[in-house]
Amino acid sequence: MNLAALMIADSRFPGGGHVHSGGLEEAVSRRLVHDEASLRSFLVGRLRTAGALGAVFAAAACGGRYAELDAELDARTPSPAQRNASRVQGRGIARAARRAWPSAALDELLRLTPRPHHPIIVGVLVGEPFAAAQTAAYHAVTGPATGAIRLLGLDPFGVNAVLARLAPRIDAIAAMAADHVGTPPEDLPAPSAPALDLLAEAHDRHHSEEVRLFVS
Amino acid sequence: MAPLRLVPRRGPREVALAHLVSAVTAPLGGDDLELRVTVEAGASLELRGVAATLALPGRHPGGSRAVVDVELADGASLAYLPEATVVTARACHESVFRARMGEGARLRTREIVVLGRVNERPGSLTTTLDVRRNGPVIRQTSQLGTPEVDDSPAGLAGRRVFGTELLCWDDDVPEAISEPWWSLVPLARGGSLATALGDDAVTVERALDEARARHPGSKGF
Repeated sequence: MNLAALMIADSRFPGGGHVHSGGLEEAVSRRLVHDEASLRSFLVGRLRTAGALGAVFAAAACGGRYAELDAELDARTPSPAQRNASRVQGRGIARAARRAWPSAALDELLRLTPRPHHPIIVGVLVGEPFAAAQTAAYHAVTGPATGAIRLLGLDPFGVNAVLARLAPRIDAIAAMAADHVGTPPEDLPAPSAPALDLLAEAHDRHHSEEVRLFVS
Repeated sequence: MAPLRLVPRRGPREVALAHLVSAVTAPLGGDDLELRVTVEAGASLELRGVAATLALPGRHPGGSRAVVDVELADGASLAYLPEATVVTARACHESVFRARMGEGARLRTREIVVLGRVNERPGSLTTTLDVRRNGPVIRQTSQLGTPEVDDSPAGLAGRRVFGTELLCWDDDVPEAISEPWWSLVPLARGGSLATALGDDAVTVERALDEARARHPGSKGF
């Protein structure tokens, strides 16, 4: 068990992740997600796209080359709202990590940018490719899943079971991501999620025009 | 015999125009197509499709592949505007658009993918957009024709037509423009990307037209 991974994945970790729904709030407001089945479909799609991308970069960040990874992840995140959500959450983790897990690798990353992408700082802190990828992939679905409980009043036990049943998929994605350790940053996979990109931008616009519960 | 014929428009013009005419039924399963485009310094080229491309399965297992490899020298311009690609049942197609851009080069490229003909379950398509200009501009791979992603509100949200248009054309849009089913966003290190989802190709084409009209470089297209 990797304790840093457990702590970062814990919803009580003070990294500020709880204010992000990963596009779920916009999907709910459009009635694209309205029950457990449509939530599951949202989560599976998110895991196989944004989740896989985060997992790949978290695993890769265990091996350094932060500047290249930062630029390559930017190029794989066309939506500015999603780039911002990733960097805001990365900065949140950095604030906690400076005190909890000071290291030369962390200093190097934060010298490059005080707002690192979320998967990259997760990789730096967790340090083991598979565990880092698992943490990032899990992060891609746990925020929207708990968001659905708050936004739709879904049964917490039901949602928890949906999350638990994603375990084999999360592990498969983490294994794929760990297999890419050693792949040059420019050749890393770049799975896209077109609807998620559109939801993220629409949420950003609505967030500034009306009251929304989540930042993203 | 070349599977793709380039038909140049004769006569003096500022931008060289060539139409892309498919000379055989392609891509069929087993095909491996490659188009290399080089635009020399300061030159301007427009490549336009004339008909939709049907990605079809072959008689034997194994997919098809089409690669467009672009080299833009300093100050060169390219508009690459093929018509839509329709992914028919059992097709397994991979398409790659790769461009390397020199200093001050300009690129506009549009892709519209239709998942299956009407009432047809689509095969699969993996399409990659990979553009670098002194570092990465954009890289994204869309895997289409996987029901659990196509139907997911996070994937294609059940829409069967997906379009993108990359605009690396002088200035960029200063901030994201977002409509329910399309957006035009500034990329992290220059360039703008329009993305649209819809139930038919006409809707997606119009959304991309609308997005492009809002781009500050649109006077030059």
